[in-house]
Amino acid sequence: MLISLNWIRDFVDLPRDVSPPELGERFTLTCAEIEGVERIRVDARGLIAARVLSNRELPGSRNLRHVVLDVGGGKAVETVTAAPLLHVDTCVVYAPPGASLAAFGVIREAKVEGHASVGMILPGEAIGIEMAVQTAIFLPPYAEPGEELAAEAFDDWVIEVDNKSITHRPDLWGHYGIARELAAMYRRDLKPYPVVRLEELTDVDLPEIPITIDDPQRCPRYSGLRFGSVGSQAAPLWMQLRLGHVGLRPIDCLVDLTNYIMMELGQPMHAFDGDKVERIEVGLAEPGSTFVTLDGIERALPDAALMILSNRQPIALAGIMGGLDTEIRAQTQSLLLESANFEPATIRRCANALGLRTDACVRFEKSLDPANTVLAIQRFMHLARPEFPQMKLAGRLSDAYPEPAEPVTVEVDPRFAARFMGHPIEAKDIVEILTPLGFTVDEDADKLLVGVPSWRATKDISIEADVIEEVARYVGYNSIEPVLPDVEVRCFEPNALHELEQASLRLLCLGLSFSEIHGYIWYDSNWTRRLGFDPGPCCELKNPASAAMHLLRQTLVPGLLASVDLNRHYAADLRLVELGGVFFPESAQVQEAHERRHLGLVFARRQKGAEETLLAELKGVVETWSSQTLGKPARFEPHPADAARPWEHPQMTAQVVVGDAVAGRLAALPLGLRRAMDEHLAAWSVAWAELELNGLCTPAPVEKVRPVPAHPEVDLDFSFLVPVSARYTAVAKQLAGFEHALLKRISYVGCYEGKSVPAGRRSLTVRCRIGDPARTLVDDDIASFRTAFEGFLGACGWGLRR
Amino acid sequence: MDVEQLKLILAGIEQEARQAVQAAATLEALRGVRAKFLGKKGSLGQLMGTIRDYPPEQRGLAGQTLNAASQAVTALFEERQKQIESSEVAADASGAGAHDPSLPGVRLPLGNVHPVTAVQWQIEHVFQRLGFTVEAGPEMESDYYNFEALNIPAMHPARDMQDTFWLTNGLLLRTHTSPVQVRTMEKFGPPIRCIVPGRCFRYETIDASHENTFHQCEGLVIDRNISIANLIAVMRLLLREVFQRDVKVRLRPGYFPFVEPGFELDMSCLICGGSGCATCKRSGWVEVLPCGMVHPNVLRYGEIDPHEYTGFAFGLGLTRLAMMKYGISDIRVMNAGDVRALVPPSRMAGPTIVERN
Repeated sequence: MLISLNWIRDFVDLPRDVSPPELGERFTLTCAEIEGVERIRVDARGLIAARVLSNRELPGSRNLRHVVLDVGGGKAVETVTAAPLLHVDTCVVYAPPGASLAAFGVIREAKVEGHASVGMILPGEAIGIEMAVQTAIFLPPYAEPGEELAAEAFDDWVIEVDNKSITHRPDLWGHYGIARELAAMYRRDLKPYPVVRLEELTDVDLPEIPITIDDPQRCPRYSGLRFGSVGSQAAPLWMQLRLGHVGLRPIDCLVDLTNYIMMELGQPMHAFDGDKVERIEVGLAEPGSTFVTLDGIERALPDAALMILSNRQPIALAGIMGGLDTEIRAQTQSLLLESANFEPATIRRCANALGLRTDACVRFEKSLDPANTVLAIQRFMHLARPEFPQMKLAGRLSDAYPEPAEPVTVEVDPRFAARFMGHPIEAKDIVEILTPLGFTVDEDADKLLVGVPSWRATKDISIEADVIEEVARYVGYNSIEPVLPDVEVRCFEPNALHELEQASLRLLCLGLSFSEIHGYIWYDSNWTRRLGFDPGPCCELKNPASAAMHLLRQTLVPGLLASVDLNRHYAADLRLVELGGVFFPESAQVQEAHERRHLGLVFARRQKGAEETLLAELKGVVETWSSQTLGKPARFEPHPADAARPWEHPQMTAQVVVGDAVAGRLAALPLGLRRAMDEHLAAWSVAWAELELNGLCTPAPVEKVRPVPAHPEVDLDFSFLVPVSARYTAVAKQLAGFEHALLKRISYVGCYEGKSVPAGRRSLTVRCRIGDPARTLVDDDIASFRTAFEGFLGACGWGLRR
Repeated sequence: MDVEQLKLILAGIEQEARQAVQAAATLEALRGVRAKFLGKKGSLGQLMGTIRDYPPEQRGLAGQTLNAASQAVTALFEERQKQIESSEVAADASGAGAHDPSLPGVRLPLGNVHPVTAVQWQIEHVFQRLGFTVEAGPEMESDYYNFEALNIPAMHPARDMQDTFWLTNGLLLRTHTSPVQVRTMEKFGPPIRCIVPGRCFRYETIDASHENTFHQCEGLVIDRNISIANLIAVMRLLLREVFQRDVKVRLRPGYFPFVEPGFELDMSCLICGGSGCATCKRSGWVEVLPCGMVHPNVLRYGEIDPHEYTGFAFGLGLTRLAMMKYGISDIRVMNAGDVRALVPPSRMAGPTIVERN
């Protein structure tokens, strides 16, 4: 929201030695964030009012007009202008030759397209009314041609308040509220708000507007005033300039007045054509009905749209926009002025449903002070009377306020305030701070009873902490001496999953050459389609970032593969890891069970047919990871590929088992899928693993260390041939059945296929460790073990590799 | 054969041995030569076997003669061995400068954690030293924890501040890490000291400085007598540890429904040192984190008595911090999966010889 400093000065005499940027800084530190402070420098000299005497098209020109102006003193001048709507007899802002302003320098007589043009009808943007581009600024009917226009009203400073920082402060949505804060900051008096006395509007001899409120929850207060003998004319220049400075376009005196009061008090008002509105009813729209707003658009009304009705015919969307039918027009003479208070949620829901965010609804949804409805009308009359000296009340102030707001009182304990702030403060300091902000403070024993002013009581301030905030921000947060907290020592349960995640990334990235990437948690359906992957039922976004990204992922593999495709251009050997959430749609309850944490690994190498090597290396990584982070070994079991997951190779897919738990899958990427991803990947080998961490955080039993044997043990390696169809798990199980008194352990060394191994066979090498705790082995021990083990292998049908 | 003949033969052998020993240039050759003379089947060894052929009265003398010769030959070997060893030591220590001690090592490629992870670890480390736990919560959250329990009822305008991804199952993607506040209160009860690093989501258009998926780190302290002064002290300590230098901070009012009072914490701009530059929009200050005193209603939602306990909370933008720390100017690279955009170039290849832009 934009704030004009000229306007603020109506209500508070700010110290002269404070520059506007300093003032903005102070406001940021004490109240709400100022986003910018800008100077409006028109530097107008010698501008005058001029009356249009005649206006005709300039022959041969598309948009220029020849205008004769009365510039006072019986003098008429001719000028050429592009400004539209220059009706005869209206007064405009005019720069005669010799006048000057920052935008154009000194104005001189000129020729425009061959025509003499004396002086200049000034467009809005040249005099600080940015919204009135290339439009003349009109003056009220009482303006006299030749009358000098006061130079000081044109120049101003504009302060931009960050709207987000005042969503909780309805009072700061107008200049008067801002002025109140500035007055308190600089210890100046806030001037009373100039209004007409209430008694002037409550003449009992005048008729009352019948007002019916169906549901006072939705419309706590509705005030209205009917008057006549007004018409369409321009607002006073100073008012137009101020509206221009805060970003509004001056339109017409009556409209400008309501806008002016909205920018001043935060209270939106609406003017109905008084002849068309007999009574006021506030109620919900008929379900399924439509309404034409004053912008001429017919709108389908959402459920529970709150409407202003007259004889049950809708005349306005409450708190959002008026209707076209009852709009005031140039010839309108009689007005019904609405100043009401609505429930924020009702207005907000309706405005959001309609996609119609007006200045009014933005304010109503902040919980406005119901006391302001009448005050705004009083202010309106105060400002309108000098403009419309002939105006007459056609009714008395009508005010429906069925359930007046209860005053809010908050009990504050000064000792608690001091403790809460961590800063010494006494009752008298609190009184000194709160009073200028409009609070009342009564001492009651060792407590303070703080009366909250109506403009802060709608939702902003209701508890002790709210009042302490007021005190603390005026003490100055930066005056509070920092002190580290004095806390109770407590040993919290460890977060095992988080520790596992951190240990996993540490090992994989810092030790095993993996690079971590982050992906989005939704599938990109363009990519999954390319992979030939149908995600099936997934958690689904109602409002995805794009239509192709509506399904939440259940696996990290598609994302990792996309990353392989992206990174393959510059590296021949990729090791990527992602750790993140995956989501399952079982039920609408948030239970951790529906969201799991996965660890995805991928190995890719620019080498054809290296799947066996890659898988072996990746398995090695998984084994190392499992032993080092979980304290349990991992093993791999043959597993059929899941046809729904095209990244599982029909031949080369394994299930990863840690302890007794299935931890995930590991596989090579089939050639078909690599081709589908990217033709270049046909010449690559890719392997991946995906592990679910949630179930793995159980503590592992500690494996004890054994004393070094007193007599040396001996390792004997045996290489033997098994059919390629034999699975390691089965072979290992059989080997585990071998019994011998000297045997300590059998472990896997490696496997080999190729030269010297017959086709259809694979050579496995295992290492047997033998020893006797009571004595040193002799040659015969070794020979006899060899014989026994080789005999066992033979009995299994596995010949030794020669 | 008599002893005199033996002496002659031995003298010959000794002579022969002397020459052979001198000719052996390496320890290995010397060992071969030694076997030739002193081994069981060597010339001296074989003569040892002939002693019992001597008449008994000569055997003693023959033995002595042989032993003496054997010792003499052994001494030759030992002397030569020492010579060779010391010349080998000398040769090992000398050389023509062929070795280049400055050559780089041989290693696996360097792995990398994501910049956000690196910053997250740094923050976790600071807070763990202060006795904070690291907590986590679901990314797919309920309206209750994400909004309602944080004092943001339905239709509250503050919901606009955090445009939300909604799910068809009625849940949402958490818009901040703050829902873990009440979750942690429920889990532990007071007192609490925790941080919650994690991924958050906002329904907004992506450009160089806006992402719909980013990381935050929530912090929460609840204890008896926690004050604004405590909050300022902890925040200052945090920033000092993160930036490894004393930074000036200032607090100003900020509005978040789940804290009362709420603050924006600014840090003096590290680029210009506070004198004003483009980064800080000429203000000398950079907004770094929103924080505040936990709202009594939020404590109540967490079943903590606000009369007994007070607390503060803060939210640190991990993604933004990582961008500042590593000089990443386009936020979109964070989730794009291109490693080159996340890792300093020197870590992408072997040891750098020269780096040019």
